[in-house]
Amino acid sequence: MGVIDELTAEFARLPGVGRKTAARLTFFLLKRSPDEARRLARAIDAVADRVRHCSRCGNLTETDPCGLCEDPRRDRSVICVVEEAADVLAIERTGQYRGMYHVLAGRLSPLEGVGPEDLNIDSLLRRLVGSTGGKEVQELIIATNPSVEGEATALYLQKLVRPRGVRVTRLARGLPVGGDLEYADGVTIAEALSGRREL
Amino acid sequence: MDSPPSLVCRELRLRGFRNYPELDVAFPPVGAAIIGPNGSGKTNLVEALYYLEIFRSFRGAADEQLCRFGDDVFHVRGRFEDPLSGRSLEVTAAYDKRRREKRVTVDGVVPDRLGGALGRVGMVVFSPSDVGLVSGSPSERRRFLDIVLSLNVPGYLAAVQRFRQTLKQRNALLREGAPAGVLEAWTIGLVEASAQIMAARARWVSDHAGLFAACYERVGHEAPARLEYRCSVPAAASPGTDVAEALTAELERVAQREREQGITLRGPHRDDLGLAREGPDGWLDLRDFGSGGQQRTAAVALRLVEAATVREARSTSPMILLDDIFAELDPGRSERLLELIEETPGQVILTAPKPSDLEVRRGALTRWRISSGKIVAAA
Repeated sequence: MGVIDELTAEFARLPGVGRKTAARLTFFLLKRSPDEARRLARAIDAVADRVRHCSRCGNLTETDPCGLCEDPRRDRSVICVVEEAADVLAIERTGQYRGMYHVLAGRLSPLEGVGPEDLNIDSLLRRLVGSTGGKEVQELIIATNPSVEGEATALYLQKLVRPRGVRVTRLARGLPVGGDLEYADGVTIAEALSGRREL
Repeated sequence: MDSPPSLVCRELRLRGFRNYPELDVAFPPVGAAIIGPNGSGKTNLVEALYYLEIFRSFRGAADEQLCRFGDDVFHVRGRFEDPLSGRSLEVTAAYDKRRREKRVTVDGVVPDRLGGALGRVGMVVFSPSDVGLVSGSPSERRRFLDIVLSLNVPGYLAAVQRFRQTLKQRNALLREGAPAGVLEAWTIGLVEASAQIMAARARWVSDHAGLFAACYERVGHEAPARLEYRCSVPAAASPGTDVAEALTAELERVAQREREQGITLRGPHRDDLGLAREGPDGWLDLRDFGSGGQQRTAAVALRLVEAATVREARSTSPMILLDDIFAELDPGRSERLLELIEETPGQVILTAPKPSDLEVRRGALTRWRISSGKIVAAA
């Protein structure tokens, strides 16, 4: 296999990239200056070299523990549990959350062979027991996706954690901000109704 | 007759659907009678219309099979109108079998979820294959319940989707012998979705058992029949019980057997509808002890109840699609069914292999002839 085919085959392994798109990407790079291609290669190389999972929270990081875990201004009494590192970014973008994170690296899905032992659950439990200096963890916010699998993961964690005297909460579900009630789907409206709150 | 607002089909356009390369029909508001020999495409036309209601074949055919032989794509478009208010609705559906892609639009807009576009028109199909509802396996009756309730009970479809997904996951856990703590997380979700489904089924049956019996009696003119909910958790079938609690207790009771067999043994997937007629010594199941005529009568009664459900839930009279229905019934039953249909408002699209003396809508239906995928006005 020539190098062109090799690169195309590598591109084709990326999510959402088919054979045709892979070939397009390859030929795009070949048309540009060699420097540009090298820059991409260096960026990929650097990521592969330097990015690790934080040994404490499981988030992607260049330093271990990660910047979020080391930040002294963050509230150590709350941990927000998410499925993927990308979810941390989504919550951080809100600028509304000042607690800690824990990345499960997936959700329970027996059909795909993902059980509790495949998720970062042991490390989460360790954080609840031995709080390394600072305040004890008082609340776990479970922010797994509102899918069947995300819900089961949340319930599993809740059963596991509640006996330890930690408060367990779940992200609310409801209407999108700026949305029109008329155009929201029935399930979402029903959820929003059952989760309504006092004004 | 005091008719509630209802949509009628004014135009239907088919491209590459079953035996139709191209078809453009304009329906009169009262409806049409389409006469043609077997194999001319009568049921295909009904199938295309009903496709715009549930975006699936009412015959249970896969979407690929709906593409005309030699075509990769089919397209169905219907324009519907409420003759009273003038409100109109356009629904389209297309399927590309190479890309395995379905595309639906409602008034030109692609809905966020297919579920949100279901049942926009309101239609009920009466078909000879309905006898399978009575003579067939429980899964056919569950499919009937699921379609009727998905179209008419808010939240039912979403609960069924959640249930199916959770069931698959839970069964995978049971097969691999997962520890109780892991299983429990899925059981809670299963019970929550199941309870919603079972409560809706129980309510629907208890609300409509009387109507079913009345329709059966009127069409059948013989010993009474009854409709009951045979819930896989018997306690949950009676109104007023906490379904979730009953199901949880029942799942605990069968926990050991579930582990041995590696499947979930109680839940909506194990329910059935009971259809029985009165015999000399008690109730007899129509599935095993019904004559062909009795089974067809019960099937027709179920469809009449379905039409009533649409009227109650959506305050519209559904379109009534009668696919060669009278041929299967004896003359007495045919006439009495006709009387019932005449009392039911809504546009009628009727198909038959030959003209008959039975005049739906007092003979006001436009008569068309159909042969090998072409429709012409009858002489």
